[in-house]
Amino acid sequence: MNWVDAFIQGLLLGGLYAQYAIGMALMFGVMRIVNIAHGDLVILLGLIGIAIAALTGAGSGLVALLLVPLGAVIGWLLQRGIPNRVVGADPLPSLIATFGLSIALQNLMLQIWSADPRSMSAASIGTMSVPVGPIYVGVLPAIIFVSAIILTAGLHGLLRHSSFGRALRATAADREAAALSGVDTKGAYALATAIAVAILGLAAVFQAARTSIAPADGGSQLLFAFEAVISGGMGSIWGAFFGVMVLGVAQVVGSRLDPGWGILLGHVVFLVVLAMRPQGLGVSVRGAA
Amino acid sequence: MTGGMITVERQTFSGRIALTVGVILLLTLPSMPFWASSGYIRWAVELSCLIAIAQMWNLLAGYGGMVSVGQQAFIGCGGYALFILAGNLGVNPFLAVPLSVVVPVVVAVPVYYLLQRLDGPYFAIGTWVVAEALRLLISNIAYVKRGSGLSLSVMAQFSPHEREIGLTILSACLLLATVGGTYVLLRSRYGLALTAMRDDPVAASSQGVDVAKMRFFVFLLSAAGTGLAGAVYFMAQLRITPSSGFDPNWSSICIFIVMVAGIGRLEGPMIGALLYFFATRFFGEYGAAYLVGLGTLTLLVALHAPGGIWSVLTGIKDWPWFPVRRILARQ
Repeated sequence: MNWVDAFIQGLLLGGLYAQYAIGMALMFGVMRIVNIAHGDLVILLGLIGIAIAALTGAGSGLVALLLVPLGAVIGWLLQRGIPNRVVGADPLPSLIATFGLSIALQNLMLQIWSADPRSMSAASIGTMSVPVGPIYVGVLPAIIFVSAIILTAGLHGLLRHSSFGRALRATAADREAAALSGVDTKGAYALATAIAVAILGLAAVFQAARTSIAPADGGSQLLFAFEAVISGGMGSIWGAFFGVMVLGVAQVVGSRLDPGWGILLGHVVFLVVLAMRPQGLGVSVRGAA
Repeated sequence: MTGGMITVERQTFSGRIALTVGVILLLTLPSMPFWASSGYIRWAVELSCLIAIAQMWNLLAGYGGMVSVGQQAFIGCGGYALFILAGNLGVNPFLAVPLSVVVPVVVAVPVYYLLQRLDGPYFAIGTWVVAEALRLLISNIAYVKRGSGLSLSVMAQFSPHEREIGLTILSACLLLATVGGTYVLLRSRYGLALTAMRDDPVAASSQGVDVAKMRFFVFLLSAAGTGLAGAVYFMAQLRITPSSGFDPNWSSICIFIVMVAGIGRLEGPMIGALLYFFATRFFGEYGAAYLVGLGTLTLLVALHAPGGIWSVLTGIKDWPWFPVRRILARQ
């Protein structure tokens, strides 16, 4: 029964990681834009959220309502400011530029908020749990998990069925041909980044409410999201969702075997997937009608 | 027929000066323990390691086109190999430094085969995953005292003066292998292939360069040089832990040094390493604020001046220190 519990807890942890992995699936997998500062943005939004909650006494729901549009604005500015300039044949400049941004952001946050981990109180939901058969499931992790499913389905639907989704997929497939057909490619990229970072606003609240955040955590969040996107299959939003579930289960099972093995087993599973099935575990929707 | 009238110039006046200065500096380094204070010797050893690490990143990213943010994997492997060979297995520490190179190279082979499945930017983040996995793996192994790390207590058998002599000789060898080795490599026929790859990998492959094989070769060379630098650096520190050996900050240093000073040129990493070294001495006390500045500078250079300082300097006067071009001259 211990292992069933570990499996369920792994899925719930995956639900938390899904919040930032699907944003990355949109940017990395579909648009092929690399943003090394992805994880640092979650931390930045989370620390801003905690500061807002402390100053105004706002609850975590209200903070989330503020952080999501703030994330959208940051994403839009970021795309206009950095990758749009250097999107082209050579991905190196945007990689290095966002790497520089990541270092600058991390240390800026360290300067403002110090290295202490902080968290946000989620009222009584934070500690409530309900028995499901013989095991207990936390209410907050369950809410996060459901939200991950809704976001994944919503983003997948948006990409497949809306005119924005068509424009975005066309831009990703062939930027010049899309522009010739009348697609505002820069606009599509900026809007997609805005959506990806807006989701990070939600991720930030969930992360801060469920565990804690500190300025130096961005790197490992980037890696978790990256592993999910690659092992799920590039270009697929549901693939990334599947990827985080695998990662979450691997981490929880690993930490039950030995407390030091949790994150390591997650990395190892990713490397094994890369060795055995480099095209990913999921199915790609990129280029599909 | 005027075929005999054309000669190929491979060395320039500035290149001969730089070569002479370089040889003098390399010979001066091992003499330092006889006239310099130990503070300056520590500086020289650290600076040598920075130059070596940056030059290896430059070879990998600038010429091989493989951006890595996981060079700490090889620094940590080199460092740990030294501590295990000298501390746990009783090999003479000064002999153990060159032997340590084997470990990062052996690690690099499967890593390359795994990561070459990911292109460009995905490769970069993949190297970071590998470095993190190695850090966590070492942190779980009791033989190397897990997270608390190892001390190089066997160095106590040498006097401080003997240690300084050993370290400065090793630093000179490190520079000779990494900087000198890259120079020789770039002047060879492989250098032509690498320069062609740097400018355009697709065009290079159409001209008969085996790009995949060259990349593998460059990845291994870079792992070897970076690992050697790691061994020398941690021999000077006398202590290594998983979080110092596999510190992601090593990659930040490489990227900062090479990008700001000029990627894809041999001179870049040397200027960048000097700049970084002295900037850190002067402004390091500002801690996080200083790193905010470095990060922002890297961002701005990548966006607005991708050639870095060296391309600005060559714009003023073309004075290559390490000429790798073939210039046709009429006699």
